[in-house]
Amino acid sequence: MISKTANSIPAISKVERAALFTLGIDSGSLTAKAVIMDGNRRIVSHSVKQLEFVSEKAVKIAMDNALAAAGLELSDMAYIVSTGYGRRRFSFANKAITEISCHAKGANYVFPDARTVIDIGGQDSKVISVDPLGNVQNFAMNDTCAAGTGQFLEVMARALGVGLEKIGELSLESLTKLKISSMCTVFAESEVISLVAQGHTKADILAAIHEAIARRITGLVGRVGLRQPVIMTGGVAKNIGVVRALEKELGVSITVPGEPQIVGALGAALFALDYALAASQNQNVGTKAPGTENC
Amino acid sequence: MSVQETKKANRLKSGKMVNKLVNEYWQDLIHAKENGKLVVYTTGLPIGPFMAAQDMAWIHGEGYGARVAARHEEKEPQIIAERRGYNRELCSYARTQLGCVMFAERGVPDDMIVGPIASEIPTPDAIVTCYPGCSSGPQWDWAIERLFGKKIPWFNVVIPYHYGRNGSSYMSGQEFEEEVAYVKRQFEDLIRFLEELSGRPYNWDKFCELMAVTKKVGKLRMEAMEMCKAKPSPASFFDWSIYIAPVNYLTAWPGTVECLEAVKAEVQERIDNNVSAVPNEKYRLFWEGIMNWNKLGWMADKFASFDACVVAGRYTHLAFWHEPDAIDPENPLEGIAINHLECQLNLGYPITEERMMKLCRDYSIDGVILHGARTCRSFARSHYLLAESLSRKMDISSTMFEGDMVDESFYQDEIVNTRIEALLESLDAKKNR
Repeated sequence: MISKTANSIPAISKVERAALFTLGIDSGSLTAKAVIMDGNRRIVSHSVKQLEFVSEKAVKIAMDNALAAAGLELSDMAYIVSTGYGRRRFSFANKAITEISCHAKGANYVFPDARTVIDIGGQDSKVISVDPLGNVQNFAMNDTCAAGTGQFLEVMARALGVGLEKIGELSLESLTKLKISSMCTVFAESEVISLVAQGHTKADILAAIHEAIARRITGLVGRVGLRQPVIMTGGVAKNIGVVRALEKELGVSITVPGEPQIVGALGAALFALDYALAASQNQNVGTKAPGTENC
Repeated sequence: MSVQETKKANRLKSGKMVNKLVNEYWQDLIHAKENGKLVVYTTGLPIGPFMAAQDMAWIHGEGYGARVAARHEEKEPQIIAERRGYNRELCSYARTQLGCVMFAERGVPDDMIVGPIASEIPTPDAIVTCYPGCSSGPQWDWAIERLFGKKIPWFNVVIPYHYGRNGSSYMSGQEFEEEVAYVKRQFEDLIRFLEELSGRPYNWDKFCELMAVTKKVGKLRMEAMEMCKAKPSPASFFDWSIYIAPVNYLTAWPGTVECLEAVKAEVQERIDNNVSAVPNEKYRLFWEGIMNWNKLGWMADKFASFDACVVAGRYTHLAFWHEPDAIDPENPLEGIAINHLECQLNLGYPITEERMMKLCRDYSIDGVILHGARTCRSFARSHYLLAESLSRKMDISSTMFEGDMVDESFYQDEIVNTRIEALLESLDAKKNR
């Protein structure tokens, strides 16, 4: 395992920053993501790896892919920050920071005006209120169950026999309004099967599922307070049906970045860069990046 | 790494005196019937002195549930209660005690091994309910009454909710005064009920004597907790949770005054020597919610690992004889009514908000932990309202995680870690703004 310390980075000029690289890895419940960033805050490469189960191996694949795409080695990384539920598993990471802070920072990078971040990941949903610098002001997360998350959608897609990547577009073809009352993954699956048996179209059922998720997220938004503009991150942001349902429920338009899944890893890479630059400027091992003093 | 697992909470040493008292009390209770004492089950507010004055034994339902959970004996009674139809979402205190009562009344099933505390609860001779702000409490006692064929005498003290109507506020106003008078009348009826039950005149002198002790114990605890306004704090919410037993169901038990004097002295000594509850206190937090009894030490260490001291809480600081000066030992009924009416679970939202904001100011709180007890919705109902007010009016952030009082199956450690860490990260960011 490679272990790096921040004081190995000498104080550098802006020009030299292009040769400084940091890595952010996001070990989620369903996917592993890696982002490499240079010292001028440019994304050098990124990678997303679907997980069969959470493992260091899968994260390593995502990381190796990003490194290969950048033509770099792990030893080239000045600083590494891990995030996501598996964030503490990686001994090669210099720091672990929660996905809440990382999504806020990543969202601020891709959309600096964003004041509300909605992130629906594999096993949780969160709504984050962010300031102009990408700091978390307030946040709310779903309850302890997987209702309304990526995993919930996977189960529903499987129950309907539709590929996960197609459910968003298909739901937009809905003609008749239905209602899914249960958000428990197990009970909702039974409800979906029952609706199929009653002859309802897959499009109508999917639209109802997306509306149910949107209602749940709206509750979280209410707790944090809706501030515009709104950005959506996480894998579920790729589902146009959920995005539209949320826009309708919240009455606002939502921006979705080109690669919503990597926003957490991007935030981690940005934190890593803050650490690396702060350390190189101060020549101090213990220098803290803003917003991570407890780490 | 972000979690410094090696850091431990520096718990108060005098807490061992509480353990001794609690052990003595429960040991005595097991033998109460052999010693010719009537056993009265109580739930809700601390009313032990009413029974103690008449030389009766009393079992506080929640205290019993907490005791069983602290000894990690709660699983079996909860399972047996669920087998008998008491759903997992119902109050876990109730399920735990009901399960234990089922063991006492019907025996332990062959497929279960039950711990000594859970299996030895004496059966009730009477029930006295005194529940504020919760409808499950009276139903819990009703379920116990039914278990014994509805033959157990049962007295229900109704504690009206203090909404704060017509300008009434904390400890003042017409609504408050009328409610105090109403509760006081019920206590007079309770005394008649206990006279009838015991078959002898009520020992008013002893009752007044016990209430003088209760006042002293309540005062000592509040003074000791108040000393934690010091920075760093010499003790934490988790320490004060331990001291709930002496002020809740043990105020009428010998040794409680000495116990509270010892803790106050220890806290003072810590302040004098700059010893803190959390080795490197960096964040001062408020616990909004009920305590999780089977995770007390675990939680104390968890927060210490984050350099966070949970300094105060609604549960510890706004209940359990928190207004001791209101008690007149010569004529204590009104003071008891005041303390019970004004406890945190019985206050309307604006009053609760005002009390909580005062605590946050007094204890220099940085952030709030909302512990959503899954099976205590009467406590959890106002979490988000309070969090929103604190954020808006005092710029205090909060985070919420689910758990429970005595059912640890509702915990998910990783979720708890992530939410605590995220809150602390946001506090850091705020400081750097």
